[in-house]
Amino acid sequence: MSHQAHTVAVRATGVDMFFGTPENQVVALKQADFEARRGELIMLVGPSGCGKTTLLSVIAGTLTPQAGTVEVFGQRLDGLGQEELTSFRRKNLGFVFQSFNLIPTLSVVENVMVPLLIQGRPYDEAHARAHAIIEKVGLKGREEGRPNALSGGQQQRVAIARALVHEPPLLICDEPTSALDKDTGAHIMELVRDLSRSPERCVVVVTHDHRIFRFADRIAEMEDGRISRVVDDPKLLDTSHL
Amino acid sequence: MYRLALNMLFGDRAKLAMLLCGLAFSALLMAQQSSVFFGIMSWTYTPMVNIRAQVWVSDPMVEQVNDAKPLRDTDLGRVRSVDGVAWAAPLHTSFVQARMQDGNFKLITLVGIDADTFAGAPAVLTQGRIEDLRLPDTVIVDEWGAQLMGRTEIGRDGKPKTTPLKVGDTFEVNDIQARIVGICKVRRAFTGGPFVYTTYDRAKAYTLGARRTLSFMLVEPQKGITPAELCGRIERETGLKAWTSDTVIWSWGERSLARNTFWWFWTNTGIPFSFGTAVLLGLFVGIAISGQTFYSFILENLKYFAAIKAMGAGMGVIARMLFVQAFTAGLIGFGLGAGMAQAIGRAMIEKGMPPFVMFPQILWATFALVLGISFVSAVIGIIKVSRVDAASVFRG
Ligand SMILES: Nc1ncnc2c1ncn2[C@@H]1O[C@H](COP(=O)(O)OP(=O)(O)OP(=O)(O)O)[C@@H](O)[C@H]1O
Ligand SMILES: [Mg+2]
Repeated sequence: MSHQAHTVAVRATGVDMFFGTPENQVVALKQADFEARRGELIMLVGPSGCGKTTLLSVIAGTLTPQAGTVEVFGQRLDGLGQEELTSFRRKNLGFVFQSFNLIPTLSVVENVMVPLLIQGRPYDEAHARAHAIIEKVGLKGREEGRPNALSGGQQQRVAIARALVHEPPLLICDEPTSALDKDTGAHIMELVRDLSRSPERCVVVVTHDHRIFRFADRIAEMEDGRISRVVDDPKLLDTSHL
Repeated sequence: MYRLALNMLFGDRAKLAMLLCGLAFSALLMAQQSSVFFGIMSWTYTPMVNIRAQVWVSDPMVEQVNDAKPLRDTDLGRVRSVDGVAWAAPLHTSFVQARMQDGNFKLITLVGIDADTFAGAPAVLTQGRIEDLRLPDTVIVDEWGAQLMGRTEIGRDGKPKTTPLKVGDTFEVNDIQARIVGICKVRRAFTGGPFVYTTYDRAKAYTLGARRTLSFMLVEPQKGITPAELCGRIERETGLKAWTSDTVIWSWGERSLARNTFWWFWTNTGIPFSFGTAVLLGLFVGIAISGQTFYSFILENLKYFAAIKAMGAGMGVIARMLFVQAFTAGLIGFGLGAGMAQAIGRAMIEKGMPPFVMFPQILWATFALVLGISFVSAVIGIIKVSRVDAASVFRG
């Protein structure tokens, strides 16, 4: 048990999440249990609307569930105030949002610098590190351009660079490869997987993209607001909804 | 982060231009409207500006410069004997009818000045010399008055055309001839004008030897005595009222005749109200425009701030970013607007119409208003960002 506690990165237990009024209620998560280990890349798959994004939000502490507990790196999120949650995210999390949320009035490199600057890093250091990671995602030469001048796939790579630049212990990605072609998607997933290889880290990826399943250590299937099955081998998945 | 905040602001040139235009326009509107307002209001104490004397002495009941209550000629002697008075000169002002060559009557402001010292004489003569007033039946008319008193005829093209009076022209005041020997340049007044300058004694004749013709006394203090000090002495020793000539209407100096005149018009006439509504309208429009442009700018950036918040920026950082953006835009907008107001004001001062007095206080007040608008917009933005649900950035 003590060994297990050491290897668990994220643990959500009995999470309920409802939206809307009591008369007109949408159940997004119902008694969801989820666990991610240190040093692994775990994928979340399931039909649209089954609650994947909601589960990510709960893990990230941007949504507070009505029931259940969430623990990230041994830290219980329930009971934390807004500022504490913010500080928790600043230190531990990297995000790739489903809609990239790049700031259109900032250049590519400035967008990537944001997490470092939020952490209070000096501008020059942030600039240098952002340059390096942009090169890794294959966007060298586009640093000073605006995100809107890039293709959807390139924007997605900027979003990924922004999520990776501060080497967060927990990386949360919502459909990171949806706009990328096969080769770029694979390249990006290698970057993401490398990050998860460190024993201190953990990556959770929501995806519909079966081409990247091979990068997963484990795959959790979701259905109607809960995890229905966790498998080690993509071949065991029920892919009827994909 | 502040550098990023500024880059966010400057990143979108088109929107920034919109924002700055809105702010600059409203700053311009506020500064310009109030300057014209104070310009018009400052016309109330025009005689103070035109006549240029250090100390004015009047009847104790006088409240403002346009309302002279005549003094006795003997009062002049009493004032002259006050210790510290270098010299004291009589001044006459009254409204009289002048009969023009073509038989028309025009209402003029007759100003009679002391023929020895010429105290109270206009500062700038564009034609003629002040000394010519010592010749019989002579007057000096101001430029604008010469135009007003000029002869209007229907020209060949059917349009009325006015020929201004010039040196050598004559008219009559109470059947006594007045010959123009000079044209001067003076500031316009709210009440009164055209200004017709003559000597004090001749002014007496023009008013048919009215029993009392001494409206004010102009006094020069001896070296080493401040005008305010001398005022105190004159009042103590003569029981008359003595005023300083400073035109700082914002001061609390009880002795400033200009200040008293200004505020007398402020409280006793409808002038501030009728012109003030235009100023208020300008202020409202200004506030509305800049508030609106700012607000839409912040709304557009709301979702990006939400993303920054989700990535772990505390509200303190976001608040400071918004303040940096708002105050930067506010400062630049104010600078542009105030600059334009200055430029327009300079052009107006050159033309003399409409009157334009841009007190530093107007600029300060405009500055405070623009920054206030920036502040309120930033606060609204901060409240909006703090309410926005960080989870919303996860949704498509
Ligand atoms: N803020 C919200 N208000 C109301 N309902 C919501 C909200 N967020 C999510 N839902 C509902 O909760 C359910 C789960 O949504 P969620 O976004 O987690 O699905 P998903 O698995 O990420 O779907 P997709 O694959 O399309 O992204 C859906 O029925 C959705 O309509
Ligand atoms: Mg989703």
